[in-house]
Amino acid sequence: MLEATLNMKLLEMCSKCGACFSICPSCMHIPGYDPREVIKDILDGNHEKWLTSKHIWQCLECHHCLEICYQHYGFENAMTALRTIAARKGVHPAQVKRGWEMFVKTSRLGEPALPARKKFGLPEPKASGAEEFKKLMALLKERRGHKGE
Amino acid sequence: MKEFAVFWGCTIQTRFPFIEKSTRTVLEAFGLPYRDIDGFTCCPEKSLVNNIDHAAFVLTAARNVALVDELGYDLVSPCTGCVSNLATVSCELKANPKEKDSVNGMLKEVGREFTGKAKLHHLVPFFHDTVGLLAIKQKMKRDFSGMKIALHYGCHMIRPSHALRNDDPLNPQKFDNLIRAMGAESLQFLTKLMCCGQGLDRIDEHDRALHFARIKLRELKSIGADALVLCCPSCFLQFDNNQFLMEKEGERFGIPVIYFTELLGLSMGYTAEELGMTSHRVDCEPFIKKWESLANKPSREAAIEEGLSGPNLLS
Repeated sequence: MLEATLNMKLLEMCSKCGACFSICPSCMHIPGYDPREVIKDILDGNHEKWLTSKHIWQCLECHHCLEICYQHYGFENAMTALRTIAARKGVHPAQVKRGWEMFVKTSRLGEPALPARKKFGLPEPKASGAEEFKKLMALLKERRGHKGE
Repeated sequence: MKEFAVFWGCTIQTRFPFIEKSTRTVLEAFGLPYRDIDGFTCCPEKSLVNNIDHAAFVLTAARNVALVDELGYDLVSPCTGCVSNLATVSCELKANPKEKDSVNGMLKEVGREFTGKAKLHHLVPFFHDTVGLLAIKQKMKRDFSGMKIALHYGCHMIRPSHALRNDDPLNPQKFDNLIRAMGAESLQFLTKLMCCGQGLDRIDEHDRALHFARIKLRELKSIGADALVLCCPSCFLQFDNNQFLMEKEGERFGIPVIYFTELLGLSMGYTAEELGMTSHRVDCEPFIKKWESLANKPSREAAIEEGLSGPNLLS
């Protein structure tokens, strides 16, 4: 499954470089957070052990690693793949599930604060696209069903 | 100038309506052709939706861009996350015709089509490139000479650069240029480009999120910043709300956090109250007071002028 989303050839280059380690804010400020360890394990076929690690969720997706990477690939791709697998297995922070459920149910991550809008003299919020969004999500599910995913 | 739809995003409309207030105030004052349009959903938020379901991430963003495409507008957002996510998907689809066809196959069922014609701007580079520094200077009633401002770009205003293409992703300049055009000093400091760390609050790691805020706030206090200026609701949440929470626990930084549109509004003569700045959790009063006290001081030019034209004891 990892092979489908990650480019192992590029990750092999990553294992010999580590430039991202010098610029990543989580590497600098979170003890034990180290892309080099994760990449080594992915290449050795041992990615499983990271699925339950909180480190995979501590990637802030600031894209610093992507920008400094001379392959413009970035360690973040590895972390995103691991997070996706973990989420599919139901191993994720509680808040992630709450957010996802709200997104799927309402198409948003919160509704406009109406009393405050009135106080600031802001216009009525525009119509939401929730109905169309729900149709599209259903369609996505249906197409996946056909492909047997 | 081409008409543009404003993409407010969930966070501003849910938690910070005063940011919408100050943004509308400055857009109006500049007479910019902005529109509110029906049908937007969440951009969607990358760290949440993309981690769980990439296809849902792409489809939702493509639909939002399609709404703007159809009307022939561009898009401007005062939220860094929204612009970055929409641009990331737009760029991905333009580079992958097969994926684009598959997405459009689904969008067609609801009568939409993604073409990717709409330009997607963040408000700050939009003001820099499209409105321009000269137009800003002409609208200003008073500049910020003597004020020391620490900028926080917000990662997603400028990154990923292959999708946004609006500034140097590792050495950005446009926000600095705007602040300098407003007369303030843009402080250069070690943690200037460091991510705010608000993402940690979304994975149940509140203490670590506070620690990330603390690292930058400590440095700002030590270099005597009068304010932290930014243009991202997520970074605003991190530095205003979380700074307030730390202050309640006795750790005081006293760094006002000011939105770009608020700073611009102040310079154009709007009051802090009119701009909604009184709704911040960290008090902006020290910044306003210092700025007001500088207004009462005669300018440097005035003192020299007086010396040159005053009595001459030798003649």
